[in-house]
Amino acid sequence: MSFFPAAQGTGRRAGPLPIRRPVRLRDADLTRRDRLVRSGLLLAAGIPTAMLVLIAAEMVVQSVPAFRYAGWGFFTGRVFSFGNLYVTKLQVQNGVSAPHGATYGAFTFIFGTLASSVIALVVALPLAVGAVLALTERVPVRLQSTVSIFFELLAGIPSVVYGFWGILVLGPLLAAHLYPVLGRLGAVVPFFRGPVGYGEGLLTASLILTLMIVPIIATTTRELVRGVPILAKEGALALGMTRYETARVVTLPYVRRGIWAAALLGWARALGETMAVLLVSGNLLNGLPANIFSPFSTMAATIVAMLDSALTDATGMAVHALAALGVVLLVITVVTNLLGRLIIRRVTGGAVLPVGRGI
Amino acid sequence: MLTEGGTSRIGSPQLAGGAAVEVSGLRVRSASREILKGVSAGFARGRVTAVIGPTGCGKTTLLRSLNRLHDQRPGMRVEGEILLEGQSVYSRGRDVRELRRRIGMLFQRPNPFPQSIRENVALGARVHGLWRREEVDRRVEELLRRVGLWDAVHDRLGSSPFALSGGQQQLLCMARALAVGPQVLLLDEPTSALDPHSTARIEELIGSLRERITVVFVTHNLQQAARCADEVLFLLAGEVVEQAPVAEFFQRPADLRSRAYIEGKPV
Repeated sequence: MSFFPAAQGTGRRAGPLPIRRPVRLRDADLTRRDRLVRSGLLLAAGIPTAMLVLIAAEMVVQSVPAFRYAGWGFFTGRVFSFGNLYVTKLQVQNGVSAPHGATYGAFTFIFGTLASSVIALVVALPLAVGAVLALTERVPVRLQSTVSIFFELLAGIPSVVYGFWGILVLGPLLAAHLYPVLGRLGAVVPFFRGPVGYGEGLLTASLILTLMIVPIIATTTRELVRGVPILAKEGALALGMTRYETARVVTLPYVRRGIWAAALLGWARALGETMAVLLVSGNLLNGLPANIFSPFSTMAATIVAMLDSALTDATGMAVHALAALGVVLLVITVVTNLLGRLIIRRVTGGAVLPVGRGI
Repeated sequence: MLTEGGTSRIGSPQLAGGAAVEVSGLRVRSASREILKGVSAGFARGRVTAVIGPTGCGKTTLLRSLNRLHDQRPGMRVEGEILLEGQSVYSRGRDVRELRRRIGMLFQRPNPFPQSIRENVALGARVHGLWRREEVDRRVEELLRRVGLWDAVHDRLGSSPFALSGGQQQLLCMARALAVGPQVLLLDEPTSALDPHSTARIEELIGSLRERITVVFVTHNLQQAARCADEVLFLLAGEVVEQAPVAEFFQRPADLRSRAYIEGKPV
């Protein structure tokens, strides 16, 4: 083991041997066994791709009747109802038949998904970045990895546990202590006006989501902050700047682009998060939340909540309608991802390197 | 020689030609070894002192002890005494911020802030509250002219410094260091990554600082030491071999090891 010389200063061994370039083999050089292994690997690599394409295709195929039935009303309508599933009377709309009274308007769910994930992101981003800076600048190096482990554990808690805790503990706690205070903002901000509820609703769900995405953003940001060259930071320290000033002047501009990417990762998680949101959302079906404290629902939560009754629809339209929700969710996730990547490229493409705005 | 301002503010004696920085019995240990083993030296006020010696002899460590940059690195232990104008650098109540304002530093590779060119010059003065808002533009121009960068950057003060050449970046770092009015300037092989033209420019600047700022100049390049320095401090394996005026050191070195080093022989 003493083959590797000790790395200077740290007392740790030097890293592993450098990775070699892959050697490209010609077909003729391969033995039969090589070929067998290769086809096996190709198959293994192909399965996920095929799965993804098949799932997306199936979702789209399943959703088409619902989109045809509802038309644009699917995106603008605020009432989402499977209709009367107990009588055989049908209703035909745009050449597609569904149970009597069926209305598939998903606007409230689209709104709920976007609102809860955006609120979560807005709260989580400064929290995560602040936590990382506090961790890397304030906590002694020896304790840093220990503290980091807790961040990673936080990311590993099953979402149903978050939801359960949210509905039993966090929601009532917030409704009793924090929300009445926030409610006073209602005098200025309309969305905070009105009753603060009992802890099941948009804000509670958003805060649970915040807890779930902070670790994602924080762990990514921590790696970025660690990667900032010491030489760059020492330039600021040697000029008599404090650690805080150094972080603002040097560290943050260096990692800004990466933080946007980390935020996107977190946002993607918040958009698709289902179980925790379902538990604390209050599950409002038809209508927009009256204020930030009131019940609401998201697309993902609705799919789970309503799938059971949808399966009892003999016409199959209810399942189609939920599939349509799934497609919209998929598209929103993909579009926000692409949009975010585009913004990142736009922001960083023009300038040679980051330019901060000073203190 | 007196340094400009500063010294009287801290109430220290202004000894003409004396040492602005005095180091005695300095020992610096990292987690794995002792890097400086009892270094004593003085850096004459308003003069340029070149610190030379083979790689790993502790030149940079000595330099970084002067502005307490080792504070940042866990596991670095500093013992001994360093006086800046008669006052201990490592004393308990010492304001490290103010200390580092008075002792500027230039690094081996240029390390401008990821901020605009203008902010690179102005930020130090801003955090120390040195300039009034309305004089910032004038001061920035003054400093950029002084380092000879104004003509190259005056039309892009708001853009990133990383578009500049390495030499220009190092000059910008020089302007940044001078902006806060240091009494001492630490140079850690500032030209080792630069082209000959930028190197000449930096050397010229160092010469222009003479009499006004005490310069401690770590370099690998003996010709550069001979060109720029008034005094030479020769370190070997964490100990001082010789400190002497530049002409004396290169023509009549007192120590055999100095002679061997100058002649490029193994020491």
